[in-house]
Amino acid sequence: MSEPANPVSQQGPGGTMEHLDEMTCLLYAERQLDRARAQAVSAHAQDCASCRTLLRALERESRLLTRAMLEVDEPMPSRLAQFQERARQSFGWIWGLVLGLAATGVYALYTFIIEPWQVRLEQAGFGGTSLLSLFIFQGAFWKGWQSMVPFLEILAMLTLAGFAAVIFRRRLRRGSAMALVLAGLCAALALPAPATATEFHKGETYELAKDQTVKSDLFITGARARIDGTVEGDVFFFGQSIDISGHVKGDAIMFAQSVRVNGQIDGNIRSFANNLTITGTVTRNVLTFNEVLNLDSAGKIDGSLTSFAQSVGIDGRVARDLMLMVGETTISGDVQGEVRAKGRSMSIASSAQISGPVHFEGDNPASVSSGAKLGSPVQFTKMKHESQYMEGHYYVWRVIWTAAFILLGLVLFLLLPKFAAETVSAGERFGAPVGLGVLVFFGVPIAAIIACITVVGIPLGVLTLGLWMLCLFTAELIVGTVVGNWILGKSADTWGLIGRMAMGFVIVRIVYTPLARLHVIGLLVGLGIWMWGMGSIALAIYNRLQPGAAPSTMSGSMPPVSLPPQTTVGGIQPA
Amino acid sequence: MTETSEAVARARAGDAEAWGEIYREMGPAIFRFCRRALPTREDAEDATMEIFSKLWEGKLSQYDATRSFSAWLYRVAANHCWDILRRRKIRQDKETEDVDDVPLEHPDPNQLDRLIEQKSSEEVRRALDKLGARARMALVLRYYSDMSYDEIADALGVRRAFVGVVLLRARHELRHALEGKSALAVGGTS
Repeated sequence: MSEPANPVSQQGPGGTMEHLDEMTCLLYAERQLDRARAQAVSAHAQDCASCRTLLRALERESRLLTRAMLEVDEPMPSRLAQFQERARQSFGWIWGLVLGLAATGVYALYTFIIEPWQVRLEQAGFGGTSLLSLFIFQGAFWKGWQSMVPFLEILAMLTLAGFAAVIFRRRLRRGSAMALVLAGLCAALALPAPATATEFHKGETYELAKDQTVKSDLFITGARARIDGTVEGDVFFFGQSIDISGHVKGDAIMFAQSVRVNGQIDGNIRSFANNLTITGTVTRNVLTFNEVLNLDSAGKIDGSLTSFAQSVGIDGRVARDLMLMVGETTISGDVQGEVRAKGRSMSIASSAQISGPVHFEGDNPASVSSGAKLGSPVQFTKMKHESQYMEGHYYVWRVIWTAAFILLGLVLFLLLPKFAAETVSAGERFGAPVGLGVLVFFGVPIAAIIACITVVGIPLGVLTLGLWMLCLFTAELIVGTVVGNWILGKSADTWGLIGRMAMGFVIVRIVYTPLARLHVIGLLVGLGIWMWGMGSIALAIYNRLQPGAAPSTMSGSMPPVSLPPQTTVGGIQPA
Repeated sequence: MTETSEAVARARAGDAEAWGEIYREMGPAIFRFCRRALPTREDAEDATMEIFSKLWEGKLSQYDATRSFSAWLYRVAANHCWDILRRRKIRQDKETEDVDDVPLEHPDPNQLDRLIEQKSSEEVRRALDKLGARARMALVLRYYSDMSYDEIADALGVRRAFVGVVLLRARHELRHALEGKSALAVGGTS
C-alpha cells in the first residue's frame, strides 16, 4: 500500500492499516481539495479498497440526498397559486370604494367637528390660528415648551440610541446592545446642565411670601402651595391645592384638587382641577376642566371663559365670551360677550347682565329671572336623547368611519408591513396578547400620568399617552386582521394581509355594533377588543426587542477545529 | 436570454404580467426549497409567499442581471428561511461548541453503503425532518440548491472552512435519524 504524499491518512487499529478519514473523503468527493491533496487521496484510494468504498458510499449518499430533495412529493398548495394576481384583482374595486368613503369621512370630520370647534375657539379668544399652532406654538395648554427643550433633547438622544440599538441588534449581542444604550444614556446625562430660566420646587408645601419675587417660570410639585408674592413667568403646579393671592405675570397651568385665585394673573389660566374659585383678576383667558367652577362676585376675567365642568357659577365679570359644556350653569354676574352653553340646566339670575347673544342647548329652557339684563332673548335648543341606533344616518356614518379606519390601517400596513405581520401573528396567540393588553391598557396611562407628575417626565408622559392612543385606535384593526386570517387563512403578502384586515375589520364592526347597545356587554366586548389589539402590538414590540443570535456570532463562538491539513478553503478545485 | 431572464427583465421594468411568469416558473421550486428547509408545510407556504412578496416590494431591484436568477433567488430564499429559524430561536448555535468532536475517523464503508442501499427517498425526507435546523439547512443548500461552499458559508454565517464540518455533521445526524442509533456517526472503524 502506497502512502499518500501528505499525511491525509489515519492510523488504523494496531497500526496495521492507514485509512483516509471521512472529512477528507467528503471534501474529496465534494471537489473541495486542492489539486495536490486530491491527487494524493486519489492515489491512496486506488490501493485501498476500504477508502474507495467509503468514497463511493459518500457519493451515493450525496446522490440519494439530491434525489430525495428534488423529487416532487407534494403538489403546490392551492393558496400559493398566483396569490399576488388574485389579491390585486380582488381588492382593486374595494380600495376605490374605501378611499371614496374615507375621503367623505375626512371631509365630514373637518366640516362637522374641526371647523365648528375652530370657530368656537376663535370666539373664545384663542385667535384665528390652526389647532396645531394653538396647541404647540402658541402654548395655549403648555407654555413650558421652551423651557423643556433640554429635556426634549435628552429624550431625542435616548430615542436615537434606542433606534441604533434596534438597528444594530442583529450584529450585536444583547450585552453590546445594552452597553450601547447605556453609553448613550450616560452621554446624555453627562452633558452639562443647560442654563434654565425655570425654578423647580418639590416638597410637601411651598410658599412664596408677599415680598418675594420669582423672576422666572415656577414649577411646583407638592401637596400645597401658596403664592403671595410675584412670579414674573408662568406658574406650573401639580399637587393637591394651590392658592394664588399674589401676582403672576405669565400663565397659570395647574393640575390640582383645589385651585383658588385671589390675586392677579396677567396671562391665562389652564386648569385641570376639582374645584376652581376665582376671586381675583385674570387678564387673559380661562380654560378649565373641573367639577365645580366659581367666578366670585369680585372675580374678573378680561378674556373669555371656556369650561367643561359639572357645575359653574358666574357671579363676577367676563369681558368676552363664555363657552360652557356644563351640567348646571348659574349666571348672576356680567358677561360682556356671547354665551354658548350646553348642559342639563341654565339659570340666569336677576343680577345677571349679558351683552351678547345667549345660546343654550339643554333638556329644558333656561330659567331667566325677570330682572336679568340680556342683550337678546335666550336661544334655546332642545337636547336630543333619542337612540342614535334608530337613525339612518348613524349607520351611514358608521360605514364612513369604517372606511376611514380601513384607510388608516392601509397606510399603517404599507408603512410597516413587517411589523404589521408580526403584530397580527402575535394576536393569533390570543392568551398572551390579552394578558399583556390588560397591563398596557391600564398600566401605560397610569405610568404616563406619573411621569407627568414628576415634571421632568412630562414630554415622555405626553409621548407615551400619544402612542397609547394610537395603539387604541389601531387595536380594532389588528383584531380585524386576525379575524380575517381565521376566515381566509394566513397571508404573508402585505396586500393579502391588508385585504384580510379590511374584511375582518368590517366583520368586527358588524358584530360589535349591535352588541354595543347592550351597555355592560358592549363595554366588555369593546374592552376585550382594545386589550387584545393593544396586547398584540405590545407583544410584537417585545418580540422585536428580543435579540436573536446574530449570524456573525456563530463563527465568532466557534472554537478552532482540526481540519485535514491543506484543505482548500478558497474555492472549488478539480480532483 | 432564457424565458425566466426575459420575464425578470420585464418585471423590473414594471410589467405586471411578468410577475406571474416568474412565479409560475420559480414558485414550485422555491416552495419545495422552503418545504425542505422549514419544519412544517404551513411555514413553507408562508415563507414562499413572503419571499415573492419581497421581490414584489422591491427586492428584485437588487438582482444582478449578469448572474443566474435562480441561484440568486435561492440565496434570497435561504436567507429568508434562515432568518425565520433565527427569529424562532431554533438555530442551534450550541452545535458549534463541540465541533472538536467532529470525527476524523474512517467509518465502516460497507455499513454506510448498506444503509444507503436500503433507504428510499421518502425515508430520507422523513429523516431530514428530524434534523436540527442548521444541519437540515446545510444539506438543503448543498444538495437541493447546489450552492458552493462559499455561498453556504455566507448563508449560514459560518466560516468557509467550517462548511465541510457542518455538512459532515449533518450527514451524521441524518444517518443517525435513518438508523435510530449513532453507530455510523461515531462508531466506525478506524
